[in-house]
Amino acid sequence: MKARRLPLVYPTASFAGLLFVLGAMWYAASSQNSPAVYLLLFALTAVFLVSIPHTLINLVGVRVAPESAQPAFAGQEVSLPVEISNSSRATRHGIELALSGSNRDRERIDYIPADKAARMTLRFPARRRGEHEIGALRLTSVYPLGFIRVSKKFASAQTYIVYPKPEGDPQLPSNGTSIPRSRLETEIGEGDDFAGVRAYVSGESQRHIDWKAVARGQPLMIKQFAAETEGVVHLDFSALGFANVEERLSQLALWVIEAERARRPYGLRLPGTEIPPAVGQVHFHQCLRALSLFQVGMPGSA
Amino acid sequence: MSMSRSKRDRSIPRRPLLWLAAALLFTLPPMFRSLATWVPCLFLLALAMKFWMEPRGYRLRFAIFKLMLSAVALLIIFVSYNSLKGIEPAVSLLVVLISLKVLEAHTAREFQVMVLMGWVLCLCGFFLSQDFAAAFCLLTAFALLLVALIQFHRAASRGAFWPPLRTACKLLAQAAPLIVLLFVFFPRIGTGFRFEFRDLRAAGTGFSDRLSPGSIALLANSSGIAFRAEFPGSNTRPTGPMYWRGAVMWHCDGMEWRAPYAPASISRAPNQSPSGNTIRQRITLAPHGARWMFALDRPFEIPRSAMLVRGDYIRSVQPIRKTRRYEVVSSPEVTRNDLTPYERKEALELPASISPAVRELAQSWVAQNSNSRAIISSALQFFRTQGFRYSLSPGEYKKNDLEQFLFHRRVGFCEHYAASFATLMRLAGIPARVVVGYLGGEYNDLGDFFLVRQADTHAWCEVWLTESGWTRVDPTNVVAPGRAGLDLNSFLEGRIGSGQMEPRRSAFIARLARSAIFTNIRLAWETLNYQWDTRLLGFDADVQDVLLSSIGIAKHGPYFLIVEVLAIAVVMLVIYFGWMQFGTRSRVNRVKVLYERFCRKIARLGAQRDP
Repeated sequence: MKARRLPLVYPTASFAGLLFVLGAMWYAASSQNSPAVYLLLFALTAVFLVSIPHTLINLVGVRVAPESAQPAFAGQEVSLPVEISNSSRATRHGIELALSGSNRDRERIDYIPADKAARMTLRFPARRRGEHEIGALRLTSVYPLGFIRVSKKFASAQTYIVYPKPEGDPQLPSNGTSIPRSRLETEIGEGDDFAGVRAYVSGESQRHIDWKAVARGQPLMIKQFAAETEGVVHLDFSALGFANVEERLSQLALWVIEAERARRPYGLRLPGTEIPPAVGQVHFHQCLRALSLFQVGMPGSA
Repeated sequence: MSMSRSKRDRSIPRRPLLWLAAALLFTLPPMFRSLATWVPCLFLLALAMKFWMEPRGYRLRFAIFKLMLSAVALLIIFVSYNSLKGIEPAVSLLVVLISLKVLEAHTAREFQVMVLMGWVLCLCGFFLSQDFAAAFCLLTAFALLLVALIQFHRAASRGAFWPPLRTACKLLAQAAPLIVLLFVFFPRIGTGFRFEFRDLRAAGTGFSDRLSPGSIALLANSSGIAFRAEFPGSNTRPTGPMYWRGAVMWHCDGMEWRAPYAPASISRAPNQSPSGNTIRQRITLAPHGARWMFALDRPFEIPRSAMLVRGDYIRSVQPIRKTRRYEVVSSPEVTRNDLTPYERKEALELPASISPAVRELAQSWVAQNSNSRAIISSALQFFRTQGFRYSLSPGEYKKNDLEQFLFHRRVGFCEHYAASFATLMRLAGIPARVVVGYLGGEYNDLGDFFLVRQADTHAWCEVWLTESGWTRVDPTNVVAPGRAGLDLNSFLEGRIGSGQMEPRRSAFIARLARSAIFTNIRLAWETLNYQWDTRLLGFDADVQDVLLSSIGIAKHGPYFLIVEVLAIAVVMLVIYFGWMQFGTRSRVNRVKVLYERFCRKIARLGAQRDP
């Protein structure tokens, strides 16, 4: 990804301190007519001036390539993996990465050797559901002296998805067609008998995570317990009692998670969209994506 | 490639802190020389504490506690200096506050502040001392602070010693031409408000308007520098001993002599300027806070803002508070051939307290000899034959101990001989006065200059002879033959070598000090000192004015000059940037460019690149 414009150069907060020190030195030197103090003053000034091209050069040849971000639920953090490559022949130091327009969530990498790349994960809050563009990333650096910050903007068309925030009643609706017990012998859900583990689905309750397995270095797993099973759940947008679209979407998102966790086949019915009942990761994300993109940009959806 | 969040600054990493501590240690020597000892000790303690506290997460937290500590520090400073005015209490206060800040600081931004404060400490160091040794320490501290700052921003990058040092050296090397440019051409605009330091410390000055027994012997071990002298045009170097004239003392009080507080200025008529043998000297005088200026016996062409006063010596119009460089021309033949009745009376005045035995001694010479010259010879003969000894530690004499000195103890240093000889001459009816100044000087062939130390302080006499005017007589020469041709240290080394004197230092140290390598190192160091004092400390606003107008760029005014200097600086920075970009441009890019060109050509032939 190429830099969009020329780099910006602006002073950092500690530049004010430097100015103060230089001012004190200048005052002392001129009031004493003292060449030694002038030497100190000019040495500091010259070193500061010479550090400006060093700071500028520190971003030359440094590129940013954002990769696709995992979807996140609203209210959580989006993790955006970014590859930063250094195509120059010198090591680049102290490079910071931030979303353009946000100074708080700044990631820092101490150094990237010549012709190497580094990966870092930019984390920022997911605020609203929907599909969002990253917009622009900003690479900044204050190396070597920290009095001047140079900043380069990289435009990006990369998008990320934010699912609606799961909220509401966790109890699944009982509108499903009941399936005879013989057909689904070992349904797994919130029962009492341990029935094995499965992968953790982002966003669901952490109550049943197998922490001991995590401690052994294994990925997040959910302990499952066998229980009496029920049939297919139909999650219907129009059947919900709330007036607010967002509240309905939140409730549906929660049910999607609960149903996926209970391994109960679930179908989603939104105005204009219908997803037939199924179970599994692909289905799960398909449903949440549909919820996330529902009526985005329409009045009353924010 | 370690990664860390920017909100990580909960503590200061250890490696930059080590560099910072090293830098701050270099700001200490000037402090130890000038401030109350507890101040730099406290600072050291704070630094040590920081290293203990930082890994444990301890720091000064509560505002009230900090305020209380500051108040206590203020009180202690007031008690130890008896005042809060002046440069030493001010610097002490700053050092104490910086110590507290060091104990308090714990985040990244505060590290940046600590480095800035380190630079302020360098500035304070220059308030305390500007000699080469101090400047060397302070500029080293300046550079180390730079390394600390770079190391801080490198954070976990590989290498904690050479890489930041190399970057700092690169910065300094690139800054060097800019420093020279700014130093030489950037106009020194005065703020219009000058504050004078109450009392600038002079390096071991012992020169005063009073000559009392023991006052010069006290200086014999001082290594302080009085001044350095160059002789522009080497053919005019003096052939005989170098008597540097400092002050003439008229008022006799037995063993104690005194110069007039405000000697009258005299002007030398142009027709009296000597014909032959003139010696031009360029003297770099160390600051001593008084008005003494020195020149070879006797000056007649005097520098600006100095005056020639009665007794043929020069005095500065203003007290000399910083290194002063001046040119003066002397000639040994300059004399005055008139002695006014008032001066004759003054040059014969004696205190009433002189003992009869002493008077008798002088009278016996008058009775034996017919003219003044013969009386002087008798007196010198007396010193030569009566077992007088030359010693650095002659014991204590009071101002009325003339008889004690002449008849009983007979051991003294130059001031004893000069004072007693001049007093005896006055008793014998010959107008006499004491001259104080320096004798000799160590030649430095590396820098081609003479170094005159405080230890070379000397006192001699002048007597009035009708045919030759004021004539120099140095009774010390009779007692210690050979002293006049050398500086005091060489003379003493020679005497110790030939067993005439007890050694002042252990034999090993003395041998080491005489060894060729040590002598060369010492001469090189002194040359550096001299260059620092003359080239750098001498380049003040006035000298810059002269230089700029001699090149012809002063006429456009200071602001034009500032713009010009800054324009050159910007050009230099652009050149640096271009140079660095060229140096670090990737070879990979070139391959890529060639490949792109290849793809374009292929596309023209109809083969599209798969996207």
